[in-house]
Amino acid sequence: MSVLVQTGAMLLLVAVAGSLADRFGQSVIPAYLAAGVVLGPYPPTELFGFPTTFTPDEAAVTLFHELGLVLLLFFLGLHVDLADVFADARRVLSAGGIDLVVNGGLGVLLGVAFGYDPVSTLVIAGVVYISSSAIITKSLLDVGWIANPESDPILGTLVVEDLVIAVYLTLLSAVVLGGGTVEGVAVSLAKGFGFLAVVAAVGWYGTDYVERAVTTERDELLLLRVLAVTVLVAGLAVQFDISEAVAAFFVGGALAQTDEKDRIEHIMSPARDLFAALFFVAVGLHADVRAIGDALPLLVAAIVASVAGKLASGYLSGRVYGLTERRSARVGAALVTRGEFSLVLASLAMSADAVANGVAEFAIAYTLVMALLGTTLTRYEGRIAGLVGRHTDATTQSSAAS
Amino acid sequence: MTVYETDVPGVGKKYELERRGGERLVVLVHHDGKRELFRRPDDDSDSEKLLDVDGPNARKLGSILEGAYFQPVEADSPGVPLGESIIDWTTVEEESPLVGHTLRDVDLEERTGGTLVALQRGTHTMGNPDSDTRLEAGDVLVVVGSRNSQEAVADLVRP
Repeated sequence: MSVLVQTGAMLLLVAVAGSLADRFGQSVIPAYLAAGVVLGPYPPTELFGFPTTFTPDEAAVTLFHELGLVLLLFFLGLHVDLADVFADARRVLSAGGIDLVVNGGLGVLLGVAFGYDPVSTLVIAGVVYISSSAIITKSLLDVGWIANPESDPILGTLVVEDLVIAVYLTLLSAVVLGGGTVEGVAVSLAKGFGFLAVVAAVGWYGTDYVERAVTTERDELLLLRVLAVTVLVAGLAVQFDISEAVAAFFVGGALAQTDEKDRIEHIMSPARDLFAALFFVAVGLHADVRAIGDALPLLVAAIVASVAGKLASGYLSGRVYGLTERRSARVGAALVTRGEFSLVLASLAMSADAVANGVAEFAIAYTLVMALLGTTLTRYEGRIAGLVGRHTDATTQSSAAS
Repeated sequence: MTVYETDVPGVGKKYELERRGGERLVVLVHHDGKRELFRRPDDDSDSEKLLDVDGPNARKLGSILEGAYFQPVEADSPGVPLGESIIDWTTVEEESPLVGHTLRDVDLEERTGGTLVALQRGTHTMGNPDSDTRLEAGDVLVVVGSRNSQEAVADLVRP
């Protein structure tokens, strides 16, 4: 099969999976992921008697995978605005702090309790901690909570998480790439933060220069310049044994300082959507579901504990913002959703020898379940609240959702 | 009226307008130009979506709300704004004291401050009419001037 036919077939499957998910009011991310798992070379290799194994060109898949990862992190960097954090520092940092301590802590406890090594535990903690900005924002729009007060703690928590991800990824990639020795980790940590300091300094002090370098009237040239800078810096980072994801994050952060931020976002979004979709499929393609067997107890425990964890931390954050009980409960329900960054970690875990077998597959299965659970909780919050009988403010009706 | 502006990462900007009685209007401006308008009757209620419009239509709607898109026309005084001045049409009735006088005699500019820019007689319009022109019943004076000038013209023409 030619690369074009393979890519076309892959895009068709992505489109079908996405449309199906959308039809059932679910997020598209778990659908792309599931499509990848079904099509991959590992079981299930047939569905209703039809063979489903699809082996596209490995080089093409790797490219999609890398570009998707880089663009996802680039956008994360583009959105992180320290001004957002400091505009309402007390409440934003309280909500973000509660979230980090409860859910990050829970992740560490899970890793330790199931006897994983420190590196794997760090990965598990990240997977369990990070809610999905993409899916949650989309859900908030769908159910209309975006115009309600509960959107403030939800979005505030996501902003803090995005900041933590930058530090966390730098740390994690240093540990993973450092080869396990203390000395190796120290060297790669120093290299990592050194490289980031350079990118951050250019972004911070060279805003005018960066702006002049990318600014152009023509949309296509802006797209190409931004894409070129981002991919090149990410590629260079890999040469220095630094995570491409972290580098892309900082390029996004540097460009966010320019006046072209909104235009860049507008122009780059379609590219991100395309490559991110292919990234999710690629992660699924490489997942061997049989490996989940060993991690099954961890998976079950993580799902139960982390639903409770986000519900509790979200509820507390809502109270910090002075919201009613009902609205605070919604904060927790919305934040249950995990997505793209748990998958970024899954893909990191797959390629790293230092991470225990099965952790990547655990992350994938966990994200699938949590994305579905989170969106469902958000969508049917009205009915669930009715069933539980906690109509604390009876006037509240999910009118926008209907 | 207080307006709160917040960034919604990955979506756009959110504006909350506080109204009387705790009601809030929430406008969400998406990066792709789409706008959504929500209304929240009070703090305890959920937001109801009122409408969503694309960029060009949102701008049209905005300028209508602003009063800049359509100029409301009052039926009894068809005026057009020219800064402080307006253009008005005044009909010279049969009993008007001006009938039979030349424009030089009437000396409209000196007496009212308004400027006669045209004279309509039947279907014919004379732009910048000659000062020897004699006014006839049924003539329409087209005058540019302030509201005070227009009132003075009306007083002058009235029998």
